[in-house]
Amino acid sequence: MPELIPFLKDLLSAPGLSIHEGPVAELIRTRWAPLVDEISLSRLGSLHARRKGSAAEPRPSILIATHMDAIGLMVTRIEDGFLHLAQVGGVDARVLPGQLVTVHGRQDLPGVVIQPSPRLLPPGFEENPVPLEHLLVDTGLLPRRVNELVRVGDLVSFAQPPLELAGETIAGHTLDNRASVAALTVCLETLQNRPHAWDVWAVATVAEEVGLIGAYTSTFQLRPTLVIVLDVTFAKGPGANEWNTFPLGKGPTLVMGANMHPALHKALKDLADKLEIPYAVEYAPTHSGTDASATQVTAEGIPSAVIGIPLRYMHTPVEVVAVKDIRRAGRLLAEFIAGLTPDFMDKITWDD
Amino acid sequence: MKSLIQKLTETFSPSGYENAIREVIRREVEPLADELRVDALGNLIARKGPSTGSGPAKGKKRLMLAAHMDEIGLIATHIDENGFVRFTGIGGIRPQALTGGRVRFVNGAAGVIGIERLSDPSKAPTLEQCFIDVGATSPKDCPVKVGDVCGFDRPFLDLGRRLVAKAMDDRIGCAVLIETLRALESTPHEVYFVFTTQEEVGLRGAHTAAFGVEPEIGLSVDVTGTGDTPKGSRMAVSLGKGPAIKVKDSGMLSDPRLVAWMCAGAEKARLPYQREVLEGGTTDAMAMQVSRAGVPAGCLSIPSRYIHSPSEMVDYEDVQNAVKLLTALVSKPIEW
Repeated sequence: MPELIPFLKDLLSAPGLSIHEGPVAELIRTRWAPLVDEISLSRLGSLHARRKGSAAEPRPSILIATHMDAIGLMVTRIEDGFLHLAQVGGVDARVLPGQLVTVHGRQDLPGVVIQPSPRLLPPGFEENPVPLEHLLVDTGLLPRRVNELVRVGDLVSFAQPPLELAGETIAGHTLDNRASVAALTVCLETLQNRPHAWDVWAVATVAEEVGLIGAYTSTFQLRPTLVIVLDVTFAKGPGANEWNTFPLGKGPTLVMGANMHPALHKALKDLADKLEIPYAVEYAPTHSGTDASATQVTAEGIPSAVIGIPLRYMHTPVEVVAVKDIRRAGRLLAEFIAGLTPDFMDKITWDD
Repeated sequence: MKSLIQKLTETFSPSGYENAIREVIRREVEPLADELRVDALGNLIARKGPSTGSGPAKGKKRLMLAAHMDEIGLIATHIDENGFVRFTGIGGIRPQALTGGRVRFVNGAAGVIGIERLSDPSKAPTLEQCFIDVGATSPKDCPVKVGDVCGFDRPFLDLGRRLVAKAMDDRIGCAVLIETLRALESTPHEVYFVFTTQEEVGLRGAHTAAFGVEPEIGLSVDVTGTGDTPKGSRMAVSLGKGPAIKVKDSGMLSDPRLVAWMCAGAEKARLPYQREVLEGGTTDAMAMQVSRAGVPAGCLSIPSRYIHSPSEMVDYEDVQNAVKLLTALVSKPIEW
């Protein structure tokens, strides 16, 4: 079986900003195709991969949603050959100056994000972070050439290559949420040797960062019985608070809150205890900030749960994740799927 | 087309009260459409082209073109002892655009907007500091009740190439759809021209219309901002440089296949166009995109100055070019 870390690095390096996920979807399709019975793209470009279960028809199905879109930037204006920017998804603009980027113009162009000297900006930016409206991309080309190659609306993605840190941790952009795509891949690999009664829909959703669009639409199309969303969550780091951050490398989080079905959450927790997979319980009292807030209310409503992978420095180009947590999330997911009995839904009623 | 634009913009129909504008549009489209219906939320849905049922053939698509027919307005919340009407906004009301303006209620009553004495006259008033004077002296002789709804009262102004009106957002989109329907001699597609309700209060009409129509492509026609006024917003869209093809707004990223299709269509038809990134605002396309199992969605925008003021300005050539582009796009097979 191919190694996890090289695949994760490929995932991080593949372009695929929200609504423009084509290249990363192709990479995932290649890796998943031998692991599933059928695979296709939705009308909006979400990847739908099904492993058939062994139970009699009509078979219940579980959908695992991992969003594959990346945050990034978009060209709003071109002035004297420099590119003005808007964000695609929520970008932490404080860390943009000095970043390497790729401008997806009529051809891909390397570029750097620059901030003008404080002397060239309105007063007040000597010490404070410079907001996105004053940041620019320099491609090194002359203005005339820039106008030929770059248009308003062209995408700009982060180009920093992923970096393996000591202790099986990895730093890079787009670990949110390609780390979860890697975890779902671990799950599918584990299931090669584990029979399961339910159908499994492994789904890489589009456009989570700009409105959970893939989650709404894929759940509507596939109408699963249950949904588990895999997404990243806030890891403890410098300055992090005690109450809603979780240690890196100490296991995934099992999220409880308004978007989550309590019995489904409990079933995951009981299983993690049984398997001695470490985890933390995370509380998301209102909007979970994940695809689950869409899947929960699609069609007649679908019981949903969220598993979180702790990540430091979210929405920066140097997000950090522990590879161990990816493996654990994937294994927990596979064991959960393998343990789903045809009558599981009878056990998660609201009146117990 | 100017007289149509005048007729559409001078009709009063704030969100939720679209009866008047729906009747105006219905009279225009009835002779042109192959089928006409009104759904439960009041959307007016006109079909042109063959009804293909499920699974249209290759190159033939079911399209939904959406322009919203509602406009922003005000709604009375309280009548005070002297007959002054307090109100709140329907849609995105900007208080600085209200002062001195006139309003017309759906029930026919008229009034002017006044403001309280401001402790700091250099600051724009809040909505709570504004009131409507309908000429009444007490709640008894006030022609307006709590819950009554009004729109800006401002006549259409023809400046030649530039046109000014209240509710240009989005009656200009309605005008573009009507003229496209008129110009469309034949189409291989099943095209739904949808005049949506309640866009200004959350794209509500487009949600249900898209669910009902089940389009394979969703395209809204709506106004967008410009960056061509003195010290205005910095945006690479100008009046008069052609209709804008939206790549992104603050609510949605257009489907890249639609952007490419529209840009190629404009180039082929030798029509001017601008690529648009709008940093504040969104359109019915956002609702269409997430409908059912998902709909590739985009927007053809009419550049407009002073949006959500009583004097929204568009360029007549942009409008005419939008009709030409839309007609060219939906006349031909779509091969993707």
